[in-house]
Amino acid sequence: MDDNGNTDIIDDRQSDSALPRFAVVGHPNKGKSSVVATLAQNDSIAIAMEPGTTRDSHRYPMKVDDVTLYELIDTPGFQRPRKVLAWLQGHSLSASDRPDTVAAFVTQHRDDPRYHDECELLGPIVEGAGIIYVVDGSVPYNREHEAEMNILRWTGRPSLALINQIGSDDYSADWEAALGQYFQIVRRFDAVRAPFEKHLELLRSFGELAPNWREPLDAALEYLQALKFGRDHQALEHLADALIEMLGHQETSRLGEFEAAEPLQPKLRQRWQAWQREREQRLRHSVEDLYQHRRLQRQESDLCLPDGDDLFGERTRQLWGISKNQLAAAGFGAGAVGGAGLDAVTLGHSLGTGALIGGLLGAAGSYYYSDKLTRVKLGPLSGGFREATYGPLKDPQFGYVVLGRALVHWYQISQRNHAGRDVLVVTDSDGHWLEELSRSDRNGLQKSLQALARRRFEPSKRQRLIEQLELAQQAFAQWQMKQFSESG
Amino acid sequence: MTSSLTRLLDFDDQYRRDSQQSQAFLHRRDRRFAQQQQTQRRPLTVPAWLAELHALNDQRQAHGHDSRLRRWRQARWVFAGLGAVLGAAFMAGLLVYDGSRQINVTLVLVLVGLQLALALLTSLQAWLGWQPWGSLLGRSGEQGDPLQPLRPALSARIAHTGGLLFALSGLLTLLVMVLVQDLAFGWSTTLQASADSYHRLVSTIALPWHTLWPDAVPGAELVAASQYYRLTDNAMADPALLGTWWPFVLMAWLTYVLLPRLVFLLLAALQVRWQAANALRQHPGYQPLFYRFDTPWVETRGEEEAPREPAPVQVSLMPLPETGTLIHWAGAGQQSAGLVRRLSQAPAPLQLRAGGNSSLEEDAATLRQAGEQRQPVILVARGWEPPTAELSDFIFDAREQWPPATMLALVPLADEQGDPLADAGLLSQWQRFIERQKDANLLLCAPKATWGGNR
Repeated sequence: MDDNGNTDIIDDRQSDSALPRFAVVGHPNKGKSSVVATLAQNDSIAIAMEPGTTRDSHRYPMKVDDVTLYELIDTPGFQRPRKVLAWLQGHSLSASDRPDTVAAFVTQHRDDPRYHDECELLGPIVEGAGIIYVVDGSVPYNREHEAEMNILRWTGRPSLALINQIGSDDYSADWEAALGQYFQIVRRFDAVRAPFEKHLELLRSFGELAPNWREPLDAALEYLQALKFGRDHQALEHLADALIEMLGHQETSRLGEFEAAEPLQPKLRQRWQAWQREREQRLRHSVEDLYQHRRLQRQESDLCLPDGDDLFGERTRQLWGISKNQLAAAGFGAGAVGGAGLDAVTLGHSLGTGALIGGLLGAAGSYYYSDKLTRVKLGPLSGGFREATYGPLKDPQFGYVVLGRALVHWYQISQRNHAGRDVLVVTDSDGHWLEELSRSDRNGLQKSLQALARRRFEPSKRQRLIEQLELAQQAFAQWQMKQFSESG
Repeated sequence: MTSSLTRLLDFDDQYRRDSQQSQAFLHRRDRRFAQQQQTQRRPLTVPAWLAELHALNDQRQAHGHDSRLRRWRQARWVFAGLGAVLGAAFMAGLLVYDGSRQINVTLVLVLVGLQLALALLTSLQAWLGWQPWGSLLGRSGEQGDPLQPLRPALSARIAHTGGLLFALSGLLTLLVMVLVQDLAFGWSTTLQASADSYHRLVSTIALPWHTLWPDAVPGAELVAASQYYRLTDNAMADPALLGTWWPFVLMAWLTYVLLPRLVFLLLAALQVRWQAANALRQHPGYQPLFYRFDTPWVETRGEEEAPREPAPVQVSLMPLPETGTLIHWAGAGQQSAGLVRRLSQAPAPLQLRAGGNSSLEEDAATLRQAGEQRQPVILVARGWEPPTAELSDFIFDAREQWPPATMLALVPLADEQGDPLADAGLLSQWQRFIERQKDANLLLCAPKATWGGNR
């Protein structure tokens, strides 16, 4: 592809007939919309629609700079497959006229409300779309849907069967054997939980349905990969800006010459905390927007974040903070995260003594966020007033808490499919994600966070911070993967 | 010079406005602009981008009149005015001459050196980014203030403007004084300096202009003749000779006060421009902008679907009618002997099958057989599968063929073992299906639970 993404191949593909189109079809409620939602990265597609109500088909083109590379078509489910099949059988003379007979059915019944769903479903197929037939692999195979499969076979179009896993039982092997008789390719795909690499794999197999579809699909895959990479990187930029602002933030107020500063402390702290919460929320929204999880922006409770909502909660600090030992031990020395210096917080969890340790840490935590570490500072007298300043927080924990919360949110959003279920996040574990970073990277990160908290962070170092955050992002993802494989 | 500053501020404003917009919108907008520039073979630059946005938003682009620069501009005017006044006063004070004694060239040279040192220090501070007097300018800039890193350079530019005006007005005052007064210069020092060594000093100082203006380099005779002591009688044979120092004083002021200030002012202005360009490149919005320029816009979402929440419905499960006729829709619950016992108390209920992989003829036969029984019919279906139009057709055909008012109990199951459906969402779906049929004799029922209670 060139820089503009406007290759000649793509331009040639503008002719309507050559554009790869895929009609996602099947029995109602087998996860068609989930498949389309995930592949089209569109969380507005209704999932678990009320079946039986009339629906139209919806098109989801994949466009690069307004040039369409392929198109997914979400269709209503079959409503009267046996009657349709009977009609087809009654109007066909031989196997060779079957595709024409299906086209004739659509032509004849286009305005017939009884066959509205079937016409919506078969219309794109007779116009040249490939077939993606979706079944539920968590229910046992039975022959109830054979009429549907026969109709699809009659269209003569390239077809792929997708075994979607809706429930916990797995009958995929039986389905695979049965579907193989009707469809060119059979694939398993969990629309809700499949990682991004599986989406690409599936799209690649769509390209195998017809020889002239491979090239556009391959090009599309490259763009989708670049899009994912770009989003991950942009998320880092958002995270870096939020860290710079949050860690260096100050709240100020004017104070009369003889006015005491003490009563101002709680008011300024409250304002400071409210600002921090609001800024964190803005970061989350921008990351969700980046990955186009628009439904989440309206309903964040859909996310299952491990530390609740409060940035200053004790649970938050326990999860993402680091121990004083770790900080003290030569900027995260090797021994500090593994052996004797293992984080007291995570050690508490791993030994199941959360209550006791939690109590102790509660006291420590209230110390960390207490006024002892951050007090109101007074500026010089000017015009009968002094400027009282609160913040930034010198406590090194705060930077790690902000970073940890931002990373777990990013991880959830970046891994979350648009069919919309939570990805699993391991929260109570025997280690801290920082262990995945090398000692020098930990030191670099620590220095940057310290500079931010001291407001000595120069704009020229932003790029360096982004590079450090990229390493942190990778470390966090690795840590999560490790936790999954250990728990699995 | 200020265009780089206004560009930076303009960019920052746009960045802040854009932070309210979705990434998708920004990417599409900026990618379109990049493509347009490429098509028209125009450079892809920030000023062009800003100009395009201003044009689209019907805004005039500010040229050096940004309100955030007003304070700096005002300070520059104040420093310039102060510099001009102080320069004249300084020179007038220095050249006060009442005829009682000469104007001490040594003092003039020391003050010239001081000016030079001040100018150097100002620039050094700006280059090092050091601002020990920064608090005099008020609070350090707000978080994210794009001018924050430029404060030392901007301050130096202001100081040098004042310094330049100081030097200029001092120079003009000197010329006026030379013109209107008979100035007599001399030199004096407490140190044991001979006329020779003083001559060497002034010759060294005059090196930069000794070829350009040889008369502005004091000769050895002049130096020797113009040394004076306050305690002695300073009467000279040729007083006019003492006035010939003025070209040297003029050139020293020009070379060591005015020119350095001019050079430093130019350097400060260049530094402001360079730092503004640098701040623009390091602005958090800069790289994302070029990413949007360079990266094709990939759209996968297609149309947005409006939420289609089904209408709320009150589920009302009715008691199962007494009957010995069961129809298993698509074979639902057919294999569960327990279910049959819970559905019908008849010793050998008639079990029929329709839907699923049965043929339409088999459906018709089932309808015929069930109708012949002349008793209520229980229709068992898989509750987790949505009711389709085929089931609706089957019920419609039953009404056509069966005796009027035949009770039809629709029983959706939770599983193949025949447990009653408990999921509220699924039950609502079946209730809505029943209501769509508009059939008073069609009931939604549940099988008796295994413990014998009615659901």
